[in-house]
This record gives sequence, C-alpha cells and structure tokens, in this order.
Amino acid sequence: MSRLLAIVASRWTRLVLLTLILLSLQTTVLSDLRPFGVMVPLMLLFAVAVGAVHGSEIGAIAGLIVGVIYDCVLTSPLGLSSLVFAAAATGAGLLPYFVREPTWWSRVIAVAIFGALGEMLNPLAQGIVGYSGWLNPRVLTVAIVVAVLAGLTAPILVPLSRWTLREAVSR
Amino acid sequence: MAVLSVNRRRVIVLLALTSIILLTLDLEGSSSASSLRAAFGVVFRPIEGVTRVITRPLSNSWYGITRYDDVNMQNQLLREKIAQQEGAAVAAAASVRLAQELLALNGLPTLAGINSVTAQVIGDSPSNYSQSIEINQGSESGIRVGMPVLNAAGLVGRVTRVFTDRAVVMLITDPKYALSVKVVSTPKPVTATTIVNEPNATTVTVVPIPDTTVATTVPAATIPGFTPGATTVPARPVGVTTLTIPTSGALAVRETGILEGQGSSRAPMVRFISTDRHFGAIEVGAPIVSSGGSMSLAPPDIVIGVVSRVVPRLGTAGPMLEIKLVADLSNLSFLRILLYRPITELVAP
Repeated sequence: MSRLLAIVASRWTRLVLLTLILLSLQTTVLSDLRPFGVMVPLMLLFAVAVGAVHGSEIGAIAGLIVGVIYDCVLTSPLGLSSLVFAAAATGAGLLPYFVREPTWWSRVIAVAIFGALGEMLNPLAQGIVGYSGWLNPRVLTVAIVVAVLAGLTAPILVPLSRWTLREAVSR
Repeated sequence: MAVLSVNRRRVIVLLALTSIILLTLDLEGSSSASSLRAAFGVVFRPIEGVTRVITRPLSNSWYGITRYDDVNMQNQLLREKIAQQEGAAVAAAASVRLAQELLALNGLPTLAGINSVTAQVIGDSPSNYSQSIEINQGSESGIRVGMPVLNAAGLVGRVTRVFTDRAVVMLITDPKYALSVKVVSTPKPVTATTIVNEPNATTVTVVPIPDTTVATTVPAATIPGFTPGATTVPARPVGVTTLTIPTSGALAVRETGILEGQGSSRAPMVRFISTDRHFGAIEVGAPIVSSGGSMSLAPPDIVIGVVSRVVPRLGTAGPMLEIKLVADLSNLSFLRILLYRPITELVAP
C-alpha cells in the first residue's frame, strides 16, 4: 500500500497528470489561437523547459513521456513526437555546459532556441519515416514564430516544470 | 561532463526503445497502436471536454479580436452572393435532378443514392504538421475508416480514425492524402455564325462548318412539306451573333490523375496526367472531380476544385496541375460523411 502511495505521490505521476492538462489546452484553446497561423506547441515547449531546468537526463525521460502522450491524439505515427521531444529536451538540458550558472532568462532563451529546433525536427522526422510532404520553406516560418512564442510562454513553463519535477523532501 | 546515473540511463533507453517499437508497430498498421489511442481517448476526452468549456470564452475573445473585420466583410459578401445564387440554385437543382434521373435510368451510381451522416467539427489539428480535424460522429453512426467527407461546397477529406462517438478526418491538403481524380477538359467550342433577319424574315442557322459560304437560297430537301426556296437569307444581314454548337467530337473529355495534398500553405497537386492528344491542353478553370471506381474510397463525381495552374513537364511525365479547392478548409463547421464503401470492400452477407 505504501508503495502504491509512493508511486501516486511521485513526481512522474505529477508529470503525467500535468501533461494531460497541458494536452487538453493544446487540443482546445491553443488549436484555436494561432498567431500568424502557427500553433503554440505547448507540449514540446514544456518538455524542453523540463530539460532546461532539470538537465538532459530528466529532460529526455520527460520528453519521451510527454511525447508519447501527445502522439496519442495525433495522426502522425505513434512514438515519433516522443523521440523528437526527447531529442529537443536533451539538447536544452545541455545548457549548463554553455552557461556556468544559468539564470531564468538564459533558460527562457534555451527554451526558445530548442523549442524552435524541436519544431523543425518534427517534419524532418516525419520525412525519415516516409511522410516527406512537410519539408518545405514554411518550416522556417513556423520555427521563427515558435521561437518568439516560446520566449513568451517560457517564463510560465520554467517554474511549472520546476514545480512538477521537484524532488520530494525526505523527512 | 556529469556522470549519467545508471538507472536513469536505463529508463531513457527503455523509453526510447518503447517509442521505436510503437513507431514500427504504427507504421506497419498494427491494431495495437489503434487500441492504445482508443484507450487513451477514453481517459482523455472528459479532461478535454472540461477544458474546452473553461477555455471557450478565451477562444471566442481571440476570434472576436482577430476576425471581427473579416467576419463583417464576409457577411456582406455572403449576402450579395446569396442574392445572386438564389435564382441560379433553383435552375441548378433542376439540372442536378435531371442528371440524377438520367444516371439512374442508365443504372449508373449517383451521389444522391449514397446515405450520409451529418457531423459537426469539434476540434482542429493539435499540431503544425498535421492537417486533420475531429468530428462528433463515430462508428455508432456507421462511419468507417476511408469514407469521404464533404461540406456544402465539395470534398474536404476522408475519415482516417474512428472511435465510438467521434472520428478524425484527414484534410485534402495533408501530404499523406491521395485520391484518384479526373480532370474534365472542355474542348474549344465550334463557333457558328447566326444571321438574324429583318423582323418579318425567317431565322436561318448556318451550318457550323468553317469557311462556309452562305448561299442565298437553301437547296432542295427531301423533307415532306418543305418547300424549297421558302426560307431565304436576306441580301443584307441586319445582325450577327455567335452561338456555340457542340458537335459529337466536342463533348467533355476526361483524364484521370492522382490528387495529392501539399500541406496547409500550398495548393494540392494532380499528377500522372497523360499527355494524350485527344485530351488536348488542360486549361485553367477545368473542373476536378473524383474518379470513383471499384478500388477508390470515394464515389465518382464529387466536386473537388478547379485547375488554378498548369505546370508543364518535359517528357512523358505529363503536366502537374495545381488545384484551387472549392471547399474552404479554414472555416469548417458542419460536414457530411458519405457512408460509401467501394464494392471491393463490401463483404457478402
């Protein structure tokens, strides 16, 4: 029983539950709100924010979990977003190797850059598995808009990811 | 470089392998991937429903801010268009009915004979790299994967995933979308000259042969009761008009090709059009309709769009046609799903 409670109270359970809420925002309000015709990839940005805050390892695990949940509502092959998110979050997790003591704004910049790269990686991954129709110049436009939108949403996503995956304090 | 913990590394490898296995299974068309999605849908739909209710005011505000002028302008244009089309619609409905009766008399399939289900769009694609929508009807309404989806204007897409009470529709602009279509080419019309006589004279239609010399007297005929010389062309014509006369060789010619989506930012293209001399050159504005057939997922003659650009190609590849869709995919609300299955997929009772 205590083991079950420990699982329920774990940060990974919290991650899954929060991901479901974010996914519901992604499929409802964010599908409607498309500035410049581009949707805010909230799921990807959240995975990248986890990477930027908690490092590559946690970022990769969170990216794989968030991605596979996102894949369940997409028409693209199951598991593809999972791998893309994991790669983007791992990249964002390399921030400490470039910035000695990352500040909140350096994390915001990391989320913006790796969010845009992750968004560009998505059509590339689709092309690798045979769906090549998305590789066109629009990808660059989407990436630029996503970078701006990521910069705007990252100040919320960074503390959210910190809270979601914080270690339980042992008593 | 920090040392990766062994446990976390194992978890990462395990999850990555799981993703790759899922990817492989889904690409192979395994039912386990569909089952996983269906099970996830059962858990996720209530959460999504609640979020939709909560966030609806926000969406409405966004549309109010960003689309107010557009909506006003569209409203005015639509009022004008409705006024123009009210008269034409009556005539068109009569023509369609006549055409359907003719097709039915000849034992040919018509769209009117196919049952359909009306559905409402409840969700957009949650990705920048997918052109799909979600509708509020599913397998319990008889919808199956592959069925064509239309709106009032024409073809919109096809059903790609079906759940009990909802379905996912892949739009015609998605790069994964492909459909056999036919291009209806209209050959250049034969123009004949009709000479309109003075008020009291009889109207005579000149036979539409190029460089015809108009005789002043019509030659003798074998028609009973016909008096040669009774109909004569006046010496000086008072008016000349042009009239299009279809000849047997000038009926609409059809050529088939494959329509493929090109993403949201580009128009769909039609490929594999043959460069047949009989078919002639394809002109901008030629209509594109579904070709149908025993293997096709869509019945014949669903209106798709018109040719907006012809891209010529060298050799035997044939031209590529850029299509302007008749359906406005950016503003979909109510859709009609044709409960059509090709004859090759129907199971005998």
